[in-house]
Amino acid sequence: MGKVIVVTSGKGGVGKTTTTANIGAGLAKIGNKVVMVDTDIGLRNLDVVLGLENRIVYDIVDVVRGNCRLRQALIKDKRLEEMYLLPAAQTKDKTAVTEDQMKELCENLKAEFDYVIIDCPAGIEHGFRNAIAGAEEAIVVTTPEVSAVRDADRIIGLLEAAEIRKPKLIINRIRSKMVRSGDMMSVEDILEILAVDLLGIVPDDDVIVISTNRGEPTVLDEESRAGQAFRNIVKRITGQEVPLMSLDEQPGSLWGRLKSLFRGNN
Amino acid sequence: MVKELWQEGISARPTLLVQHTLRSGQHINYDGNVVVLGDVNAGADIMAAGDILVMGALRGVVHAGATGDESATITALVLNPTQLRISSHITRPPDGNKSGEILMPETARIKDDVVTIENYQPSK
Repeated sequence: MGKVIVVTSGKGGVGKTTTTANIGAGLAKIGNKVVMVDTDIGLRNLDVVLGLENRIVYDIVDVVRGNCRLRQALIKDKRLEEMYLLPAAQTKDKTAVTEDQMKELCENLKAEFDYVIIDCPAGIEHGFRNAIAGAEEAIVVTTPEVSAVRDADRIIGLLEAAEIRKPKLIINRIRSKMVRSGDMMSVEDILEILAVDLLGIVPDDDVIVISTNRGEPTVLDEESRAGQAFRNIVKRITGQEVPLMSLDEQPGSLWGRLKSLFRGNN
Repeated sequence: MVKELWQEGISARPTLLVQHTLRSGQHINYDGNVVVLGDVNAGADIMAAGDILVMGALRGVVHAGATGDESATITALVLNPTQLRISSHITRPPDGNKSGEILMPETARIKDDVVTIENYQPSK
């Protein structure tokens, strides 16, 4: 029996889809059978970010309406052993699926997969309620900005009201230089307000733009720092304890250390 | 029965005890006093006929004395609201100065027809 985890945020554009793709790929890479479900009906993106858009024949709306069998709609990724995508529909909207249909879908998927990761749309209306309907656990994604944290707080309140207790937090797009100069909220500032357990932090990394455009999740790239952050998050999801990675730019280089010595940043 | 002096400073208004932090979007509307054992996050709001006491950081919007009681007060361990209202008076914190939160209990009350904020002092 698998685990159904919803990735949500409230605020749009903070990295839910990117996180879903990288967590899904990361879990599959270490041998789990994973399915990712895109519930952003009408504005689907998970297929693009995974590079699977050309292979969509059926989608989630076809499945709940019985136009096809679940098997037929699942797209198996060719790069990894057991990674599947259930895409959203692009030509419908979020009212095309009900919460009960989502619950049933999640029950069916749970029986076959180790992890069912649900990509939630932005907002708190129908799309959000659909996405959380079948979920047991939640990951809340936020960026270190007042507006994103405000929305994350709202979402956590709604998750708790829906009995999805103890959501875990991912803080995305951290720029450590700005945090040090006091221009950006720190991890501590955010946890002080949101008061939930931290699952991980991801640095702001240009490589994300490239990887999402190309449809190649960065978690699979050994050189990528954001990728390393997601690999750490994947390990924590499976129960391992991994220390938070240092976000300082160029942590180990001799030149970097000489520079900070002169700047007096120790 | 004659009321003794020490009994005069006792409010018999019903009091609601909120035993957790109020998150953004959660709101309380109560015909009495409200006490929160936690924070009141920005985006949360409390409307009370009586006093409001926050044993934590007050970052949201609160309205004490909402039914017209000008003697209502608002006290918090960290008084940092988005907006503060007592009876028909509305105030907001001074512009600028978004520095960190310091643990310094303060009380807001109406004095000389103006909302004033003072360090919390137990009344003697």
